[in-house]
Amino acid sequence: MILKEIKSDRIGDKYFFIEHESGLKVFVYPKEGYNSTYAIIGTKYGSINTSFKVCGKDEVIKVPAGIAHYLEHKLFESEDGDAFSKYAKTGACANAYTSFDLTCYLFSCTEKFEESLKILLDFVQSPYFTDETVEKERGIISQEIKMYDDDPSWRVMFNLLAAMYHNHPVKLDIAGSIESISKINPENLYECYNGFYNPSNMVLCVAGNVDPDNVFKIVNEMVKKSDSKVPECILPKEPYNVVTDRIEQHFEIAMPTFQLGFKEEAKDSRLTDEQLAQTDIILQSFASRSSKLYKDLMDEKLINDSFGYEYFEGTGYAAVIFSGESKDPDKAAKMIKEAVLELHKNGINKEDFERAKKLVYGRNVSMLNSAENISNAMMNLAFSNRELFHAIECIANTTIEQVNDRLKQQLDNKNSSLSVVLPLRRKKDE
Amino acid sequence: MKSSFSRFEIDNGINFNVIKDQRFKTGRISVTSFLPLDSENVSAYAILPFVLSHSCRKYPDFTSLNKKLADLYGASLFADVGKIGDIQTLTVSVSFLDDRYAFSGESLSSQLTQLLCDIIFDPMIENGTFKEENVEQEKRQLVELIDSEYNDKRVLAKIRCEQIMCEKEKFGISRFGEKTQVLRLTPDDVFEAWKRVLRTAKIEIMMLGDADNESALEVFKKAFSKIKREKVLNCDTQIIKDVDNIKEKSDEMDISQSKLVMGFRTGVALMDPEVIATRVAVSLFGATPQSKLFLNVREKLSLCYYCSAGYDRSKGIMLVQSGVERKNIDKAKKEILNQLEEIKKGNFTDAELDNTKKSLTNSYRTIGDFLSGLESFYLSQVFDKEFLSPEQFVEDVNKVTKEQVIKSANMIKLDTIYALVGNEEVS
Repeated sequence: MILKEIKSDRIGDKYFFIEHESGLKVFVYPKEGYNSTYAIIGTKYGSINTSFKVCGKDEVIKVPAGIAHYLEHKLFESEDGDAFSKYAKTGACANAYTSFDLTCYLFSCTEKFEESLKILLDFVQSPYFTDETVEKERGIISQEIKMYDDDPSWRVMFNLLAAMYHNHPVKLDIAGSIESISKINPENLYECYNGFYNPSNMVLCVAGNVDPDNVFKIVNEMVKKSDSKVPECILPKEPYNVVTDRIEQHFEIAMPTFQLGFKEEAKDSRLTDEQLAQTDIILQSFASRSSKLYKDLMDEKLINDSFGYEYFEGTGYAAVIFSGESKDPDKAAKMIKEAVLELHKNGINKEDFERAKKLVYGRNVSMLNSAENISNAMMNLAFSNRELFHAIECIANTTIEQVNDRLKQQLDNKNSSLSVVLPLRRKKDE
Repeated sequence: MKSSFSRFEIDNGINFNVIKDQRFKTGRISVTSFLPLDSENVSAYAILPFVLSHSCRKYPDFTSLNKKLADLYGASLFADVGKIGDIQTLTVSVSFLDDRYAFSGESLSSQLTQLLCDIIFDPMIENGTFKEENVEQEKRQLVELIDSEYNDKRVLAKIRCEQIMCEKEKFGISRFGEKTQVLRLTPDDVFEAWKRVLRTAKIEIMMLGDADNESALEVFKKAFSKIKREKVLNCDTQIIKDVDNIKEKSDEMDISQSKLVMGFRTGVALMDPEVIATRVAVSLFGATPQSKLFLNVREKLSLCYYCSAGYDRSKGIMLVQSGVERKNIDKAKKEILNQLEEIKKGNFTDAELDNTKKSLTNSYRTIGDFLSGLESFYLSQVFDKEFLSPEQFVEDVNKVTKEQVIKSANMIKLDTIYALVGNEEVS
C-alpha cells in the first residue's frame, strides 16, 4: 500500500491516494479550516448493468431493470438495524443515490467522523435481504417511480434517451418500472451484491475536515478482501444512428420543455481529460449566454433562463444535450441545428475560444469550494481513469486547434433527436 | 482561520455586511432589498432584478454584458425574488473566482464590485425610462417562470396550500404576482419601482470571501451617496397563532401520484424565545430520516417515498408534504396527525431527542463551509435584534429540554389540508 500525494501548484491544494490490498481505491482531500467532512463510497454498478457473466461461466445473467437502485435502498438495512438509526447517534447526515453506472453511499458530518466512516464501511459490507424486508420496500419505490412519472424534466430526458438509443440500457429508467421491480427478490439482490460490491470495484473519497492517516487506518481495519472476481458486464451492440428524430409526450403542464440530443459514436473506453476539456470549451463558446446562438434564441423568444447544455457520456454512450423550456421547442431545435451547421463551416474563432476557456477554467476551480463536489468529482474521475488536477490543467492548456479538431467528431446534425413534453391537448383546442 | 462577520451602516436602512473568509476559491457579493408584499406593486418589483441584470449603460445588451462576465473567468450574475414572511426580497448577486487564480493576476473582485454597482445604479435607460425591448423580454421570461411552477407538482401543491392557508394575509401573495399583472407592466412601472426601491427599501449588501472589502465599501458608499433616501418602508409580518376552522381543499389533476400538503400554525415566530424548541420539535416530527414521519408514514406503512415537515420561523408556520397514492391520502393524513399527537403527548425517547439535536447542530455547523450557506444564514437574521453565529445556534439547540419540545408541539395547530389529487385508476 503506497501513499501517493497529488498536488496542484496552480490551485495550491493537494490530496492523497492509496490502493488498499482489497483493491479499494481511497482518495482523501483535506480542506483546511473546514468544519464538515464529506465521505462517499461508490461501486461501479448502476442501472445499465442488467446483463453480466460471472467469471468462469458462459451463461449470461439478466436481472430486472431498476435492481441496482432497489439494492441501494435495501443495503441501508443490516441484520443489526438500519444505517440511518446508527448515523442518528453520530449526527451525520446520510444519503445514497444510483446513477446509470454508479451506486454511491455518502454522509456529511461535523463530529464523530471515525464512527460515521465505520458505519458506512460496515453497512456496505453487510447485506441483509429477506422476503419481508424486500417486500416492504416495494411500496416506497413504487411511489418514487410515480413521483418521477409526474416530473416533466425527468420524462423529457428519458424520452430523449429512448429516441436516441436502440439497445443500450441507458434508455431504461434508473429506478425501473412498477412491472420490472415486481420481479426483484432477495435471490437476485444477493446475486448483484455479491458480484459488484467487491472492494476492487469500489472507490472511497473523503474531503473536508479530515486527517488522511485516520481514513487509511479505518479502511485497513474494516475493509475485507474478496476472493471472487467482478462479473463481466455485457452491453448490447449499439448502432451509430438514433432511433427516431422526434418524440413527444403530453402532460398536465403549462410550459413546454425540450431536450435536443446529438448522439455520438461511443466506445467502451471512456474519454480523456483533454477530450472532455475540449468539448466543454466548444459547448460554452457555442451556446453560453454570451454566444450568438443564445442571443438569437432569446430574440426569437424561444428560450428562457432555464436553457442549458451538457455532455452526457459514460460506458458505451455519449451525446451533447441541449435542454430548456420553450413555447416552440421545434423552432428552437431548428435554430440550434442551423447554428451547428454554421459552426462546422466556420469553426470557433479565437475570441470566443479564449473567453470560453476562461469560463470553463473558472467554473472548474470554483467547484473546489465544496467538499461534496470534490468527493463526487474524484469518484467519477476515478471510475473513468481521469484525475482532478490534470483535468484542470488540461483546460488551461487547451488550444484552439485541438478544439476545432474535436468539433469535427461532434454535433452531427444528421444524428440528433428532439424530445418534447407538451401541455395536454384540450378538447377545445382540437 | 474561520469566517468573521462585521457590519457597517452606509445610510438609513442600508447596511454593508462582510463575511471575511480565506478558505474559498471564490468570492460573492449580493444586494438584497426588502419590501412589504404589496399586491399592487408586487410584479413591478419582482421583475426588477431581472431587468437590471439584463444589461447596463456600460454593457448595453445581454450579449455584451455576458461576454464581460465570461472574460472575468465565468463570473455569475444572478437575479432572484424571494419571500420571507410577509416581505418580498429582491436580490442581485455576483460570484467570482478569487484573484489568486486568474491567469495573469487580474483583480476580478474590484471589477465585479464595479459591475454590480453599474447594474444596480446605472442601468440601460432610453427616453427617460427602461428600454422597452428589455422589459418585454423579461416580462415574457417571468410569465414563463410562473408557468414552470405549474409544471412541478410538488412546488405547485405547496404554493396552493400556502395561498389557501394565508388567503387573508400578505403572505398569500405570490412573490412574482399574477401573470396578468406581469403582462400589464410598462417600462415606466418598472422604472418607478426601481427608484422607489433605492429610496425606500431596507437594503442589505453581503460581501463574502477574501476580497478587499474596504474598497468595495467605498464603491457602494459612493453609489448610494447619489440616492436621496426617504423613510424606510416598514416590513412587519402578521403572525397568526390560532385557527378558527380547518380549511380543506383539493384539486383533481391528470397526474400519477397525488400530492398532500398540510399547513399548521406553530404559534411561534420571529424572535419568540420558543423558536429553537419549535425547530427541534419540527425536526423530531418530520425533518430527518429518523423522524416520526419518515419512520412511520414511509418505513412502517410504506405509504410514500417522501413525507417531511418544514418550519418557517419568519411566518410561524409548518408545512408537511408528501406524495401518496390517491387511495392512501386519508390514511397518510391520519398517520401524520397521529404522529404529531405522539410528540404532543411526549411519546418520544431521550435518545430520539438527542439524535434530533445532533442532526440539527450538524446542519448549523455545516453552514460555515458554504458561501451561499453563510449568506442566507446571516441574511435571515437582518430583522433580528442581534446577529448570532452558527455556533451560538448550536449552543441554543443543545439547551432545549424535553418539556420545551412538548410545550412547543402543543402550540402547533392544523390550519389547512390541501391535496392535488391524481385521477389514476384505483388499483
